[in-house]
Amino acid sequence: MNCLAQNLEWLRKRYPELVQATQESPGGLLTVVPSREGSPSATHEGRWVHSAYDPREEAQAWAKAQLLEWKAGELGVVLGVGLLYHVEALVALKPQGAMLVVVVPNVAEFKDAASTRPMDAWIHRVEWLWGTSVATAEELAERTAPLRFMTYGPGARLHVQAHRDLEVELRRIVAARQGGRLHVAVVGPIYGGSLPIAGHAVAALEALGHRVSWMDQSPNKASYDFFASYREPRHRLTMQSRFADVLSLGVVTRLAEDPPDFILALAQAPMNLAVLEHLRKKKFLTAMWFVENYRHLTYWQQLAGGYDYWFVIQQASCIEALKRAGARQVNYLPMAADPALHRPLILSVAEQAEYGADVSFVGAGYVNRRMLLPRWLSNDWSFKLWGNEWEGASSLTSVLQQGGARIDAETCIKVFNATPVNLNLHSCAGDGLDPEADFVNPRTFELAACGAFQLVDERSLLPELFAVNEMVRFTEATEVPSLIRAWLDDGLGRREIAEAARRRVLAQHTYEHRMKELLATIGMHQPDRIGAIVRGDRNAGALAQRVDAPPEVAALLSRFPPDQRVELKDMAAQIKLKGAGHELAREELLVLMLDSYRAETRDLV
Amino acid sequence: MPRALVIQLARLGDLLQSLPVITQLHARHPETQFDLLCPSHLADVGHLLPSIDRVLAWDGAAWQRRAMAAQQGLWAKHLVEVDATLMTLAPDQYDCAYVLNQHRRALVAGFLLARNVTGPFLHGPLGETLTPWAAYVRDVAQRRLGQRVHLADAFCGLCGVTPPGRVVTLDPPTVRLPDDLEPIGKHGDPWIALIVGAGETERFVPTEVWRRLLTSFLTSMPQGRIVLVGTERERAAEIQAPLPSSALGRIWDTTGRTSLSQLAVILARCDRVVGSDTGPLHFAAALGRPVIGWYFARARVHETGPYGFNHVVWQAEDMGGETWPVDETVAAIREQGHHAPVGWSVWTSHCDTWGAYYSPAGQSALPPREREGLWHELEPALS
Repeated sequence: MNCLAQNLEWLRKRYPELVQATQESPGGLLTVVPSREGSPSATHEGRWVHSAYDPREEAQAWAKAQLLEWKAGELGVVLGVGLLYHVEALVALKPQGAMLVVVVPNVAEFKDAASTRPMDAWIHRVEWLWGTSVATAEELAERTAPLRFMTYGPGARLHVQAHRDLEVELRRIVAARQGGRLHVAVVGPIYGGSLPIAGHAVAALEALGHRVSWMDQSPNKASYDFFASYREPRHRLTMQSRFADVLSLGVVTRLAEDPPDFILALAQAPMNLAVLEHLRKKKFLTAMWFVENYRHLTYWQQLAGGYDYWFVIQQASCIEALKRAGARQVNYLPMAADPALHRPLILSVAEQAEYGADVSFVGAGYVNRRMLLPRWLSNDWSFKLWGNEWEGASSLTSVLQQGGARIDAETCIKVFNATPVNLNLHSCAGDGLDPEADFVNPRTFELAACGAFQLVDERSLLPELFAVNEMVRFTEATEVPSLIRAWLDDGLGRREIAEAARRRVLAQHTYEHRMKELLATIGMHQPDRIGAIVRGDRNAGALAQRVDAPPEVAALLSRFPPDQRVELKDMAAQIKLKGAGHELAREELLVLMLDSYRAETRDLV
Repeated sequence: MPRALVIQLARLGDLLQSLPVITQLHARHPETQFDLLCPSHLADVGHLLPSIDRVLAWDGAAWQRRAMAAQQGLWAKHLVEVDATLMTLAPDQYDCAYVLNQHRRALVAGFLLARNVTGPFLHGPLGETLTPWAAYVRDVAQRRLGQRVHLADAFCGLCGVTPPGRVVTLDPPTVRLPDDLEPIGKHGDPWIALIVGAGETERFVPTEVWRRLLTSFLTSMPQGRIVLVGTERERAAEIQAPLPSSALGRIWDTTGRTSLSQLAVILARCDRVVGSDTGPLHFAAALGRPVIGWYFARARVHETGPYGFNHVVWQAEDMGGETWPVDETVAAIREQGHHAPVGWSVWTSHCDTWGAYYSPAGQSALPPREREGLWHELEPALS
């Protein structure tokens, strides 16, 4: 019997479909070549999948590194197949009873491995998951154990898209099942566009049932502005930078007083690198939702290594750039809307008159908008321009509202609701449409959530967020007048599209969706910490049902509502409620002892 | 044989001030085996205490790590692990624990390791009511009132025994010093150990002040030798940096180089020990060495002065003038009397039935009446 047949024989009973698919596959995805030390190694499209010198030694090192993170009770999930040296090494080293799953995205690669290397000593000690990303994700999501992903980079590189799909699908499933209560500290900026987004994130997290410590920095704006009054730019920058450092320390002090499970910072949050590194040393998890165009605001380069997780509104090039700058985990998380705020309104006649026009634009006076908007004025329709920073835009003076004052969110929403055709033009530094049009701005989601019709400039990331029948896009500035004319005449069509867009936002693009996804992402990477809490494993009911819970602890847990998250300090507080004169069980004394040290563990300030 | 555990989880000074109570407990219960639970880094000192059979080393750092892990999710495994740790430390429960600290964890340790607990709180591990002696100790610590019962004697009251009425000393351990430190205590007279640092920065004496003391001592006592002790090597270097050439070969810098056992050997070889760090001062006093203490910041002579006879303490009454008893200390070493500079008072130590006390230097050693009154008030049965 040859190597392939022998290997498959071990799997035939449990994985008949995998065996059949492997037999039917032509294989040949990998090129098998001998390594220097003699054992077979492999390449794919000229790149080594295993060491050219000693694949076994390389696999040993990889497996040892995984064991440092792999906690007891977690299900290990290996991404990356190759010739499976790394899986063999992991099987040999894994603790007794630890479960291991290998994801097989392509049976041709699996056939190459099974044809090349005898695996009869360990092949049956591993679970093999084979199928579509959706099927694999569903199967993994059914497991009760926390998942610990272990990526063998050189092998996983062959199936980047499949692994990404698997993660997205798993995140979606995990997000839908979230039941635990986290304590999240949200740190906002002093001012700017990400300030309202921080507020939406806070509201969403609270709506999801999490406890939020909102570290609002906006009350410090007056002081920040005061430092901007220095004439000498160097003085101004020094004072503002020092002030931001003080605010950074203020954040740390608040964290010390009420330590959260993790810290979510929004773009421009006053958190400097020294503080982020200090927080990491103290085992705090930090995440940044960078709701900025990474090409325009580049301070991420200094902070990339400071945060544990980055969430960005752009993809490929942005993610790569952050990783090159030292970011460990970077994930795409697009903007969203808050349906409690961004909603359809019934306006009074007076409001309709004040805020309405055939065509409106709300936004700041960036260069490209100053150049393009005048070309979209016409005698055929009325036009109102809302927002600030339009000084000197003489050709738009006649349509500028409220003298170019900054308008608040409620006014924006009234304008959206009062306008048949809302223009949504993404800003850029050039004089036309954004040449690197990738991310989708918050306005797109907000207009859609209001049930307002919009014409938006095409973005590369828009199609995966809204279908063509949900949003009308333009790719050339010259298209816009004819689009305005056509859609002004088609009230029914506008309504259908706007309602479809609103449905899509409510179904997929609210801040609650984004926060769920963010938590699911962190939870997948931190199965023993955030993941366990999000899954509800730290709730009293789940803790009490664990087979290893001593009876005294189970009795203690029964005093909490089953869906209440219970931590060491809660247990200690519950024990202390017994009051003086009561004897305590040994487990209760142990809890009190641990708690007395817990109170000293976060000496942050 | 009955077994009892004395729990002292505080610092070096507190451990050494537990010597009288341990002595008295042993005298009261000669049939009982007494063990000691103390911080692991002080275990070597614990082994020196007479009447102690076994020393149980409490690894606070390990407990903190376990607490950190449990904070991220309390699982049964955490309890199993800490339980196993305690079982390794003390496989069999003690009949009784005497808890000397007011920190809740010391009390919890007592209830985990012993069937009965005598400690600072009444009514079990969750009790909030302090015993009269514990309330006295807390008052002294928080309000710094000169109540005149020494902390070491208050420990006796806490455990239901009277002070020993005598001074119990430790035998220095038999450990080797590094070869270059071996000559300490030989060929010279007198040998003075100077404690260069302190456990808290507020108790640091400026290095410039110590340098003046050294210079003055070495100049006035040509055969004199100085041993710098402690952990603060940089401070020791600063003290020595600009000393005159006549000081060469007369200063022995041991800072940062010795274990606690080796420190004990060095202190025991010196004629006097000078410093502001109360932990090593108590260590020297327990080893039977006369001590000169500079007490300021939160240090109070009447409650925590070195225990025993012939110790001298300068107590800061008003530090506004930045005056330090440098010349006065050198005069004391030369046995030329005790004087107090402006802003300081000077006291000498004594011991009687009610324990240790300090009286103004140069005056008759009349015991303060408040002590006896306090014993009657707090423990009528004992008095």
